[in-house]
Amino acid sequence: MPELIQDSRATRPLDGIVRQNVVLMSGLVTGSVIAGATGFMSAVAISAVFSFVTFFAVLVSRFVPRKIVYTLRIIAYAMIAAAFYIPAKLLVDAGLGTEITDGVGVYLPILITNSVIMSKTETRFFHQSCKDMVTELIGYIAGFDIVCLVIGSVRDILTNARIGWLPADLGFTMPALETTFGGFFLVGISAGCFRAGYTRYKNAKNN
Amino acid sequence: MIIIDIIVSVCSAALISIFIQNSIYERALGTNILLYASRERGKVIGFSLMVTYICTVSSVFVWLLDGLLADLSWAGIIRPFFYILIISAVYIVSLVLMWRFLPKAFAAVKPYVHLSVFNCSVLGGMFLNTVYSADLAAYIGFGFGTGVGFFLAGWLLYIAYGRLTSDLVPAAFRGMPVMFVYVGVLSLALYAFVGYSTTL
Repeated sequence: MPELIQDSRATRPLDGIVRQNVVLMSGLVTGSVIAGATGFMSAVAISAVFSFVTFFAVLVSRFVPRKIVYTLRIIAYAMIAAAFYIPAKLLVDAGLGTEITDGVGVYLPILITNSVIMSKTETRFFHQSCKDMVTELIGYIAGFDIVCLVIGSVRDILTNARIGWLPADLGFTMPALETTFGGFFLVGISAGCFRAGYTRYKNAKNN
Repeated sequence: MIIIDIIVSVCSAALISIFIQNSIYERALGTNILLYASRERGKVIGFSLMVTYICTVSSVFVWLLDGLLADLSWAGIIRPFFYILIISAVYIVSLVLMWRFLPKAFAAVKPYVHLSVFNCSVLGGMFLNTVYSADLAAYIGFGFGTGVGFFLAGWLLYIAYGRLTSDLVPAAFRGMPVMFVYVGVLSLALYAFVGYSTTL
């Protein structure tokens, strides 16, 4: 058991991308991917806001005194994330245009209360040294961004026959994939396939 | 007549929130919290009560805030910060009151109360309230409906939890992946209320 604990706390930069992926493995941050990332550009907007808000909010939240009980400390985390959402939204508006960000709607601001900031900070990040925390945090953010962009691209191809502004016509479309239930199916099936692939790779490596 | 109008406004907003703009099936808000809560009956009820309470009480303050921010062109950028302020204030006051007057209930909810309050379902519900509600009664109805909709989704997932995590499901799909597919099927069924159609 002590080995297991030590193992789970060890710093692994790739953990957040594969083994602890917050979308496909743990399902911690899924709402914005399921219902918000309906196209490539909306996925870019979500990834950018998630990366900015999560990185700086986790970094600054580390300085919140641990003497305060977690029941109250979480308020500070949420306030810090909400404060960082303002520059993140302004930057994304400037970079992608308000037409894109308005289209994403509620799925940008809800990233303020994402589980990486609200839970992972307490269960993992704040038990590590600052350097290890930053390394792993970047891995977690990259894991989310990759999945969000892939899901957004797949939906863009299958519903609009393009990726962003580039045409990608397969000769057929699946308009329902743009809906919330389409997102649930796509993320659920992707998660299952990803887990199957990871387990197979792990077993092959062990053998 | 005024009372009847208020009741109608509350009920119609609540019904919209439960069936047409359901926070889980239609919006996928707070899905991760739902997966966590659906493991135990007590947690489904506890989380749903907290979400309902926070959304309903906060909706009054959201209505006030929306009135103040109505004329600001950049309201959308600062609105999340104020929503978090409202949630935090309601959360602190409620915890203090529970700790003072309902110590047993406070001890019971303390382990997960923060998760049931600071999640996408509550924050997203407040944004939807701003979009879909017109008057105070509608705000309150929509806030209440958000919590009831969460309970509906949580309960439907709870009753299937045993099967979705059983050996009947292939190991890679067991748990979260198949739960998403299951929620997707229910979400598809609820789309009937919206009247979705596809074009070829």
